[in-house]
Parts: sequence; C-alpha cells; structure tokens
Amino acid sequence: MKDKTFRRLLAAVMIVGSVSSIILVLVTIHMYQNCSILSYIANGR
Amino acid sequence: MKKLTQQCIALIGAAAIFAVFDYAVYQNVTKRCIDYTSAEMQAKSVEVSEYLPFDPDSKIAAADSQLKLSSHPPVIDGAAGLFPVYSAFVHAVYPEDSVHYDGDQFTAESAMQYTNTRGAYKALAEGTVDVAVLVKPSEAQMQYAEEQGAELEFVPIGYDAFVFLVNSSNPVESLTCEQIRDIYAGDILAWDQVGGKHLLIDAKQRNPGSGSQSAMESFMGGREIHPNPFGALGSAIGFSFRYYVSDLAGSSGIKMLALDGVAPTPEHIADGSYPIVSTFYAVYDKHNPHPDLPVLLEWMQSDEAQKIIADTGYIPCNP
Repeated sequence: MKDKTFRRLLAAVMIVGSVSSIILVLVTIHMYQNCSILSYIANGR
Repeated sequence: MKKLTQQCIALIGAAAIFAVFDYAVYQNVTKRCIDYTSAEMQAKSVEVSEYLPFDPDSKIAAADSQLKLSSHPPVIDGAAGLFPVYSAFVHAVYPEDSVHYDGDQFTAESAMQYTNTRGAYKALAEGTVDVAVLVKPSEAQMQYAEEQGAELEFVPIGYDAFVFLVNSSNPVESLTCEQIRDIYAGDILAWDQVGGKHLLIDAKQRNPGSGSQSAMESFMGGREIHPNPFGALGSAIGFSFRYYVSDLAGSSGIKMLALDGVAPTPEHIADGSYPIVSTFYAVYDKHNPHPDLPVLLEWMQSDEAQKIIADTGYIPCNP
C-alpha cells in the first residue's frame, strides 16, 4: 500500500471513529440528563 | 509485505480503539438510559389514559358520592403520582360533561387538567387552576406564587412514604437517613462504604421543581447536594414516592431500601415507624372566589374521599 493511500485510509478511520464517538457521547449525555430515575436504576447494576 | 502488514495492523488497531471506547460507553451508560416504558409514560410520567374518570375500564378507585358539584366545578390539576387520586375525586363529585379529554390531553375548557407538579404550581399561581393535589412546593414555586399575588393554602388529605431505590441486584438492603444524606452530599462516594459492592455511587436526582426533588431537598435539611461526578460509571441510587414506584411506574428491576432498618410498607407508614413520610395536599389560593371550592375541600377530607385515597393505595389522613 502506498504511503499516501495508507495516510488517507488512516485519516478516514480517525474521522469516522471520532465523529461516531462524539455523537455517541452527546446522545448519551442527553439521554442521561432526561431518562427517568426508575428506568435508569432498573437498567443498571 | 512487512510494511503492508504493519499498515493493516495500524488501521485495524485505530478502528478497534474507537470500537472499544464506543462499546464501553454504550454498555456502561447509554444502555442504562434507554426507557422501555410506553411513549405515554415517557411523555407524561403516568399512563393518563388508563386512569381517566367516567371510563368503565379505568383503573381508578371509582366511587360515587352524594355530593355533586355544579356544571362549572373548580378546575383541578395535580402531580403525576397523584393523578389516580384526583381522577377518582373527579369521577365521584364532578359532572361528567365537565371533563374533556381529546385522546391525548385535557382540552382548555375541561375542569380536569394534568400538568404535573411544576405545571400545576404555575397554574395555581397564575389562577388558571382552582385546586391541585400536590406535595409541598419548592422555594422557587412558593416565591413565584407570591410574585403572582397568590397566597397558597395547603389542606392535608393523605400521605405516602418517600423511598430510596437501587437496582435489585444491589446487595444493600437498608441505609440510615444520615448515610443517604452523606451520599447525596458527596461525603460517601462508593457502595463499599455502606456494605455494598466495590462500585461508585451514582446519586440520581429529579428535575428542579418536581415533587420528589422538592421532598429530597427538604430531606437534606439544608445540606447541599453534590453527587459524585464519576457516579455514572457505578451503581445508582434514586428516590421517589412508594405508590408511584409500586403501582404506577412498575418496580421491575428495582427495589426500595429500608431506612434505619424499617421497610416502606403501608403498615410501617401508617404506624409512623418508617422515618420519611410525605404529606400530600389539596392546594389552593386563599383568595380564590370559586363558590364550590370550600365544598370540594371539605369533601376531600370526608370519609368518602379518604376511602378513595386508601382504595387507591395511599395512606389517608383520617383513616
């Protein structure tokens, strides 16, 4: 694999991974702030 | 070939780091926040459509009364957990044609409304509701009422236990009141400090102005609430009212803690041995001129109304 191709692939993985993680964290924070206490406790440990 | 292998390992490794991170976040936090209750329960905190008055399939403690209010009775509102109580009151003494429910909400001309604790205190202060069945307000709600010129009066009509909840797999069965205050104040951070697992304590709260949040602030006795900021990684504790947990919301997967060794059973609430009991009231503005209001308030303390409270599952003030 050419270095240029590798760098592009790595950049794509980093961008997709970062964006998906940020979205997951933001959605989780929103859900954490709005979910009912009872559901939260029942789904937990 | 060796270079290609290294490049592939780097790409797969980078993807794996993100995948592991996302999986850990989902398993430890996101999954816990998914609410499996019905859309109506999530939106309204109570299955309003199952507790409507004048509905033969309603789950309310339906009873008749000799008292029948006029065709323009006082507009009544209340808290989610107390909806079955005041719906049964309406069923007993309100004219059927005074209640209008469009399948999703009560219409503006209906003498019965449901806006939950925060909405009901706001409506009482602004004079759009005549009486509401609620627990005590927060300081901000009292202040707002004063600013609006309303002088709120509280007629006690029943009570219930204020309970603390944990996951049913949590080995802790009982805490002292002081331990709970220490947990919410941030002085106790882990369950192993109170006989539980080696997990952080996630001390959950409700929205400001909700009935149970106001009760919690009162229970703290002036101590500031400072939950563990990393608690989401641990095991949760929360609070509510006993009837709401056991009868309205469903208690699958959770258990109520004993306090000072006393379980929140109806017997322990009635005999006063359970340490935290919360009174609920018929709340109204002292200056409200509605002619039926004094009659309704007197009836809410009568044997008929008190039996409705007991049949619903609460503890009446005058058993």
